[in-house]
Amino acid sequence: MSTTAPNVPNVTPEEPTTENDSLADRLYTVRYDDAGDSHLGVTVPGICAEKCHSYDCTSVCPADVWRKGEDGVPHIAYENCLECGSCRWACPHGNVEWSYPTRGAGVSYKKG
Amino acid sequence: MSDDVRVNGEEPTTGEGGSPDYDNAFDAIVVGAGLAGSAAAVTMANEGLDVLVIERGRYPGAKNVFGGVLYTPTLRELVDVTSAPVERYVAEKRFSMLSERDETAVSLRPGEWHDPPHNDSYTVLRGEFDRWFAEQAVEAGAVLVTETTVTGLLRDDRGKRILGVETDRPDGAITADYVVLAEGGNSLVSEGADLKSVERAENIAVGVKEVLEFPGNDTAIPDRFRLSDDAGASYHYFGEGAVGDAVGGGFIYTNEDTISVGLAYRLADARGRQPKPEQTLNAFKSHPAVAPLVRGARTVEYGAKTIPEGGHESIPKLIHDGAVVVGDAAGLVLNNGVHLEGTNMAIESGHLAGEAVVEATRRSRTDEAALRSYPERLESSFVVQNLERYGWLMERVEADRDFIFEELPHALADAGAEYFRMDREPKEEHAEAARDRVLEAVGGWRGAAKLAYRYREVIR
Repeated sequence: MSTTAPNVPNVTPEEPTTENDSLADRLYTVRYDDAGDSHLGVTVPGICAEKCHSYDCTSVCPADVWRKGEDGVPHIAYENCLECGSCRWACPHGNVEWSYPTRGAGVSYKKG
Repeated sequence: MSDDVRVNGEEPTTGEGGSPDYDNAFDAIVVGAGLAGSAAAVTMANEGLDVLVIERGRYPGAKNVFGGVLYTPTLRELVDVTSAPVERYVAEKRFSMLSERDETAVSLRPGEWHDPPHNDSYTVLRGEFDRWFAEQAVEAGAVLVTETTVTGLLRDDRGKRILGVETDRPDGAITADYVVLAEGGNSLVSEGADLKSVERAENIAVGVKEVLEFPGNDTAIPDRFRLSDDAGASYHYFGEGAVGDAVGGGFIYTNEDTISVGLAYRLADARGRQPKPEQTLNAFKSHPAVAPLVRGARTVEYGAKTIPEGGHESIPKLIHDGAVVVGDAAGLVLNNGVHLEGTNMAIESGHLAGEAVVEATRRSRTDEAALRSYPERLESSFVVQNLERYGWLMERVEADRDFIFEELPHALADAGAEYFRMDREPKEEHAEAARDRVLEAVGGWRGAAKLAYRYREVIR
């Protein structure tokens, strides 16, 4: 404890803090009407399990719709979906099936 | 306000007699009530066409997310904007380079921007604005149907001419002479009908955004962003402090009582081991130059979207027998680093496409050739002119990405620190050190000259 304090005026350096909401809280800010079944899917399930190693769908998704399940393969939590479409372009195997939710279902933004 | 729109479109399948026949009742069907769609609808309805606008959201805007600034030169020609729900006019543009902990920024606050029409730049929230714009189309005579998803296009027996749309309503096929595809960047209908191909991930950006409020702090926005009355600010951020080592940037826009904070970067850079977009947003908001601006804020809404940034070369074929493609669906977005535009291009393209449909209708034609004035006029408009002008830029930025997004922000911050260093050395030493730091980053005088030449077109 004998380190010499630098000879400078006594000011406190900045320690910026930002409190970010959890993703769950963030998703809670948008309305979601459940169409009853998923508007997302995969064309050939075997591709995710056997051919794919990068799981880019899980990296790019801003809403954690695509997430690794216990079997290590991406699963779909479609009711999180913000309908950005990132997964469609990200999938290196073109294996993502995407359709618009029907009859007003899916996400509704108030602000946008 | 919202109710008018929905009442107007609430029950499209149950008019008098229980089953109204929408078939051939319309000259044109517009797919999507966003900016391009409503611009097309207003244009056509004003000329007396019977127009049906089909929106898949619960109301226009329900599915729409953007960064934050609406550019209005074309809009003002189309509709009376005195009642338009804008948040603030843009009175300041600020461009900022962030390294991990440094910021180097340039700010512009031309006095002229305080005077109407405020450089035609306003922050808006799409949930409100798109409803209002669609209402203008309805007031002009268009019919709006919400909560209805177009699932495909109808074709003639030879599979050539587009005859209308298929929807998710019972007996949901609706025919019309023309279909205007204004479905946005995630253009499933256009792709499904082979009107455009699937874009490469390199040409798509993923954007995430939060709308933030400051509970119990009414003066946070004017105080932090130095604003009075309806003046607003548009802050742009580049460098690794904004989006890590991705090609893209962050932004803060001031709304009336909220701010929009977000970022967008190439989807190709979001793949693999990159942090997820949400984590990148957290890091941006925590940067020492950004955190004080968002301190104490609460999330009002979180949103995400993809942005077509393929530029001029990615514009699909715009006209077909019986159909036109407009707005984001046509890839009409400009991002050259300092100009981030799309709303103006969407409105212009919707308007020009609408006029082409009106002309073709007057000649009782639906073939592709009769719609040619749309791509021709778009080519000579600012929309395509601007995309062409900066077409070379993204490729070069991609090639120089480490320099632009990492080395340069560091070097400029270091040079600034050297130049203003306070010690007992003469200023000459500091100026030399600052210059040396910049020269080191750009590769000497020769490198600086090369760089200036490489990017000369930016200021040509």
